[in-house]
Amino acid sequence: MKNRLKVLRAERNWTQAQLAEALDVSRQTINAIETGKFDPSLPLAFRAARLFGLHIEELFHDEDRSNLETEIKKDTYV
Amino acid sequence: MNQPKPPEKGYQARVRTNTIQLAQWSGAWVASCALMAFGPKFLWNKALAFTLLAIGSNVAAGVGVILANKNYLAELDELQRKVQLNAMAVTLGVGLIASVPLSVMNSYHLIPFKVDISHLVMLMSLTFVVSVVYGSRRYR
Repeated sequence: MKNRLKVLRAERNWTQAQLAEALDVSRQTINAIETGKFDPSLPLAFRAARLFGLHIEELFHDEDRSNLETEIKKDTYV
Repeated sequence: MNQPKPPEKGYQARVRTNTIQLAQWSGAWVASCALMAFGPKFLWNKALAFTLLAIGSNVAAGVGVILANKNYLAELDELQRKVQLNAMAVTLGVGLIASVPLSVMNSYHLIPFKVDISHLVMLMSLTFVVSVVYGSRRYR
């Protein structure tokens, strides 16, 4: 699963520690999510989306589905 | 700069409190183990009442460790809990798998020293520490 957590955090000039505090998790967890090493649970993903004032699908998206959509678009144009 | 609003008592503070409580209960348990093991011989000359009291205090401290560990796990965030639970699973597996061959090897005198339950405890402790360190580094 891919996410825009790092970009959105950088736009607001928040550190990983500040975001971790706001989401009530450890800084290591934020880092693991940002680097794609760990996928958050649904409640944590919703908390993050709420914090940034976005819908959950604007923050997280399925990598496999993105690849599939790209392939479908390619097939359509061919 | 627009700062995100943190919750009432922060994650780090809660984890710190629970870690201290877990360490205190673990310390009490280790002390009660020592009292139970050496007390009858060195402190009260094998008096039954004191020995039973020492065993009771050891069991009570053990229950305290279990509850403190449960609280500690409950307050961890999902990634830290995953690391801890993975480490516990590996430790349980190693303990179970190692205990049977060790017992057999001990019965047939294939090990140059007498295997004791403390060896298994040491093996499991070491396995847990290594697993936690490995898990933490994996998600760094």
